[in-house]
Amino acid sequence: MDGAIDLSSFSMLMCALLLLVPIIMVWYFKLGITKNLIISTLRMIIQLVLIGFFLEYLFKYNNWLINILWFLVMITAAGFSIVKNSGLKIKHFVLPVLLSLLIANFFTVLYFNSFIVNLDFVLDAKYMIAIGGMVLGNSLRSNVITLGDFYKSLRKDEQLYFYKLSLGATQYEALLQFAKKSFLSALNPTIATMATMGLVSLPGMMTGQILGGSVPLVAIKYQIAIMIAILASTVLSISLAILFTVPYSFSKSGVLKKNIFQKTE
Amino acid sequence: MFNIQHITKQFSNNFILSDFSYHILQGDKVNIIGRSGIGKTTLFKLLLGFEKPDNGTISFENHELTDSKVWELRKRVAYVSQDLSIGRGKVQSLFDETLEYKANFQLKSIAYETLYEHMDYFELPKSLLQKDIESLSGGEKQRIAIVNALILKRKIFFLDEASSALDKPLRIKTIDYFMLNPNFTVLSISHDNYLPVGVEIRTLKLD
Repeated sequence: MDGAIDLSSFSMLMCALLLLVPIIMVWYFKLGITKNLIISTLRMIIQLVLIGFFLEYLFKYNNWLINILWFLVMITAAGFSIVKNSGLKIKHFVLPVLLSLLIANFFTVLYFNSFIVNLDFVLDAKYMIAIGGMVLGNSLRSNVITLGDFYKSLRKDEQLYFYKLSLGATQYEALLQFAKKSFLSALNPTIATMATMGLVSLPGMMTGQILGGSVPLVAIKYQIAIMIAILASTVLSISLAILFTVPYSFSKSGVLKKNIFQKTE
Repeated sequence: MFNIQHITKQFSNNFILSDFSYHILQGDKVNIIGRSGIGKTTLFKLLLGFEKPDNGTISFENHELTDSKVWELRKRVAYVSQDLSIGRGKVQSLFDETLEYKANFQLKSIAYETLYEHMDYFELPKSLLQKDIESLSGGEKQRIAIVNALILKRKIFFLDEASSALDKPLRIKTIDYFMLNPNFTVLSISHDNYLPVGVEIRTLKLD
């Protein structure tokens, strides 16, 4: 079998029919999100169609510079999304967060491509964009949790932070327990997912590969490798994100700046 | 030791301190009183660099309290805060963390030696070390915070209602401990009407 069965126009029409189920339910229960649901679905369709065409060309030309540029675009989008969703101000946080994502993801993807897959051309579009997207997408949520939790608990428990400073702690020493707590809340879901993988969920990458014609054993090897790569890039990016954002977020006397949070809270 | 000159501090439209000046010498015992919201705790926060005055200057040992100087001061002052946020986990781990800090590391062995002594004086059983901080009563937390300050061998104390949750005999014992030691410089916020005799205690009334 080479690749998955193509989906005909009739198939897509049947897919649209399936979409009626959630739309009717949402409308019937007056959840008030019918409009949002339709807009989100349309956005998803348009974005995926555009990216589909774009990827066709990206894979065809397979030019290292374009590949890197596109990966940078992905990282930038992820960076803005992380800062926005963690309730922090773009202005203060986007640069350090981008830097941490850049280091963590380039390191992981290049390592993956050169030492695990053993590619001759480590900037190969298929691998760089696909693996990069998996790694980046999966570490996104952890970054949102880490940054949001870290700065919000510092604001909430400012007295405890002050107490540690008054005991003579350096800024790093006073922040350590706060960082540990945020890391744990970000990493626990990832670790739990790994523990049930295969039993509860067949991950998207495996499903894709199996439908794409790979034998399950090859798909599983890739899945194991990608999960470890995700874990590595997640731990790297959340640690670097804290490390890089702290200098922007505190005054010289070690007090958390109050203007780093989005106003809507 | 501390020289506060013409300090003004305002939160939104509320003047907490207005053109406030005060001078504190080594060994002074200052009892700070005044109705709540008047700025007693804010005064401690200003002295520790957790707040910045809008106007005026604070100096510590004849040096202006700059952003870098404030880190030095925090290694010299022991602060027992009113809201008792002293952390999570076991009581033992609070002492351990405090003594792992670079600034306190050289005190480690002496501090552990005097720990039981101090706990004993403030009537805290050793078994408390294995309890969770969050399960302690307010009075126990206050005394743990006091012991944590004492094992660091610091000589300057900022006590914010540090004995308010203790029963009367223990409260008297605690107040005496700080006020009667001639080596200690003590700034104490308290609603207590008890003050020891035989020692000069200055009263600072904020209004």
